[in-house]
Amino acid sequence: MNKRLTTFYWMTVPAVLLFFVFLTLPALQGFYYSLTNWNGFGHQYHFVGFKNYINLFQDDNVGNAYWFTFKFAIVVTIATNILSLLIALGLNAKIRFRNFFRGIYFLPNILSVLIVGYIFNYLFSNVFTIWGQNLGITSLSTNILGSEQLAWVGVVIVAVWQGIAFNTILYLAGLQTIPTSLYEASNLDGAGKWREFWSITFPLIAPFFTINMVLAMKNSLMVFDQIVALTNGGPGRATQSISHLIYTGGFKGGEFAYQSANSVIYFIVIAIISILQLRFLQRREMDN
Amino acid sequence: MWCWVKKLSTLAAILLLAFFVSACNKGDASGKVKIEFFQNKPEAKGSFDKLISQFNQEHPGIEVTQVNPPEAETVLLTRVVKNDVPDIVGLGATDTYSILAQSGIFTDLANTELPRTIDPIYLKMLKDVTGVDPVYGIPYAANANGVMYNKTLFKEMGLRVPKTWDELIATAQKIKAAGKIPFYFTYKDDWQTNLPFNALGPNLVGIDFFLQRRENQVTFQDKYREVAEKQLELLKYGHGDNFGKNYADGNRAFANGQGLMYIQGSWAISEIRKANPKVELGFFPLPTGNDEKAVKLVSGIDTLLAVSESTPHKKEAEEFIAFLLKPENSKQYITEQTLFSAVKGVTQDDPSVAELLPYFKSGRVVDFADHYIPKAVQLNSIVQAFLQNRDIDAYLAKLDREWDKVANRR
Repeated sequence: MNKRLTTFYWMTVPAVLLFFVFLTLPALQGFYYSLTNWNGFGHQYHFVGFKNYINLFQDDNVGNAYWFTFKFAIVVTIATNILSLLIALGLNAKIRFRNFFRGIYFLPNILSVLIVGYIFNYLFSNVFTIWGQNLGITSLSTNILGSEQLAWVGVVIVAVWQGIAFNTILYLAGLQTIPTSLYEASNLDGAGKWREFWSITFPLIAPFFTINMVLAMKNSLMVFDQIVALTNGGPGRATQSISHLIYTGGFKGGEFAYQSANSVIYFIVIAIISILQLRFLQRREMDN
Repeated sequence: MWCWVKKLSTLAAILLLAFFVSACNKGDASGKVKIEFFQNKPEAKGSFDKLISQFNQEHPGIEVTQVNPPEAETVLLTRVVKNDVPDIVGLGATDTYSILAQSGIFTDLANTELPRTIDPIYLKMLKDVTGVDPVYGIPYAANANGVMYNKTLFKEMGLRVPKTWDELIATAQKIKAAGKIPFYFTYKDDWQTNLPFNALGPNLVGIDFFLQRRENQVTFQDKYREVAEKQLELLKYGHGDNFGKNYADGNRAFANGQGLMYIQGSWAISEIRKANPKVELGFFPLPTGNDEKAVKLVSGIDTLLAVSESTPHKKEAEEFIAFLLKPENSKQYITEQTLFSAVKGVTQDDPSVAELLPYFKSGRVVDFADHYIPKAVQLNSIVQAFLQNRDIDAYLAKLDREWDKVANRR
C-alpha cells in the first residue's frame, strides 16, 4: 500500500469506528428497546413486538407534537431565511461601521439557547406586559407565552431571533463569492437593484440558500432547549415539540420503550425531509 | 508507519497509567466506610450538610457524602439503569418512588428499629402509594398544601380565615370588590395548576378513588366533575394574567403584598421570606366543602429515606438514618425547612404554620392526589390545558383516556 493511502486510512477508520460506537450502536439499541415494554430502570422487560408503534399512531399527544413541530419549523425556516438574507445584503453593502454591525448580529449565536430562553421568558412575563399595560394595548398586556393560541408565536420569535445570526454569516460568505465585475457589467447594461438581485445575486448564492434552508429546517424540527426555557411545552401541550415529548415521556414518565419507538419514527421523518429538501433545492441550483 | 506505532504505544501507556491511578483511588487509605446520600431537594442541601458533618464527627469510622444534582429524580432513574444505586436515597413519596419500590431496588426496613419512631399515619401513606407491604422507605419530613394568606392585609380589611367553601368564595368576592387580588395564581408553570386539584380531589372524592381506578372500577367522568367545577370557580378570583406568571414571579409578588391569598405548598415559605423577610404569613387548609369538620389538610411525604438493596454497608446506612431521626436532629431540619416531622413527638413551632398543627395532631390529613397518578399521564399539563379552555367534559374524558392509554402501554 502506498504511504499516502495508509495515512488516509488512519484518519478514516478510527472515525468510522467512533461513529459506529457512539451513534450507530445506540440507534440500533434504541430500535431494540422500542420493541419491548421496558420502563428504563426495572430489571425485567418483555418483548411486545410492534405494540408501541401501533399505540403511537393512536396517541393524540404524538399527533399534537408533530403538528406543532411542523408548523413551528416551517414558519421559523421561512422567517429566518428571509430576514437573514436581508441582513446579509445590508451587511455586505458599503455601509459605515460594517464590522461593528456584523459583530452585533452574530452575538445571539454565541449565547447559550437556554440563557437566551430564560431572559426572554422574563421579558415576556415581566417587561413586555408592563409596556403593553402602559401603552393600553390589551393584546400585549398579558404574557403571550401563557396563552394556548399565542404561545407558539413567542417561541417562534425567540427561535428566529437566535437563528438569524448563523444563517446571516452563511449568506455573507455566499455574497462575498460573487465577483464584483458582474455587478459592474450589469450596471453598464442599466439593470436596477431589484433586477440585479434576482438575476445575479440570488442565483449565485443558491447553494448557500439550499444549505441554509436545510439547516434551519433540521434545527427547528429538533427544537428542544427553547421549549424547555420558555414554556416547558405548555400551556397544556400547546407548544410541546416532538423531542420534548420524547424526553418528558421517556425519562420523566418512565415510558422509555414507548418513546424509543417515537424517536425511531422521528428519525425516519427527519431523514426523509432532509433528503427531499436537498434533492429539490439542488435541482433548482442546476436549473439556474 | 513507525511513528504511528510510537504514538499508539504512548497512548497505551497513558491509558495504563490512568487505570492504575483510578485503581489506587478505589483502595481506601483511611479505612473508613464511605456512604453516598442522594437526595432530591435543592432547598435542603444546606440543612443536610450540617447534619452530615455532625454525624461524620461522631462516627469516625463512617464518612457520609451528600449528592444533590439538579433534576435529581431523572438522574436517579438513569443511575438505577446502570445498577449504580446510591447507598441512601432521599426523595418524596411520589410515583417515581412507587415505581422504584416496586422494582425491588430498596431494602425492606420493616424489621429494624427505624419505623418504630415514625408516626404510623405516614407509614400507612407510604403503603397506599406503593401498594406493597414491605417498608422500603422511612418517612422523614412532611409538607402541607393549602392556602397561604397575608396576615397584615387580612387584618387591614377585617377578614377572617374562611372555614368553608362558601366562606372562601365570599372572602374572595369581598377582596375583589375592594379592587385587590384575592388569589395570586402562577399558572404559567403547569405544576402550579394541580395544587387546587391536589386539595380538592382527596377531600371531595377520596384517595380510595385511585386504588379503584387502578382496578378500572370508577372513572374520572363519574367522580371528578365537582373538583373541576370548583377549580374553575377559583379561577374567577385571580389577577389579570393568571397564565403569564410562574412560581418564582408569584413568590416575589405575594411576598410584596400583591394578592391576599396564595394556594401553595409549605415549601414556598422559605422562598417568600427570601423576597421579603418581614412578611407575616398565615396558612390554612383549602376548605373544599361546607362541612367545616370534614376538611382535611393535604399533606404528603416530602422526604423519605430508603436504603439500597445492593449496598454492602446496610448497617452503617441504617445508623445514619437513625441519627437523622433523632428528635433533636429532626427538629433542626424541619425548623430550617418549615416542614413537619414524621418522627413522633417532634413539633413545628413556626408561627406561619401554627394553624395547621391541630390537623396533624388529630390526624386529619390526606395525601396529595398526584402521588397516585402515573407520571406518564402528565396530569399537570392536562389540568393546565383545562383551565385555559374550560371544557369540563373534554377534560374528564381526557383524564380517563390518558390513564387507560398509559395502563395499556405498561
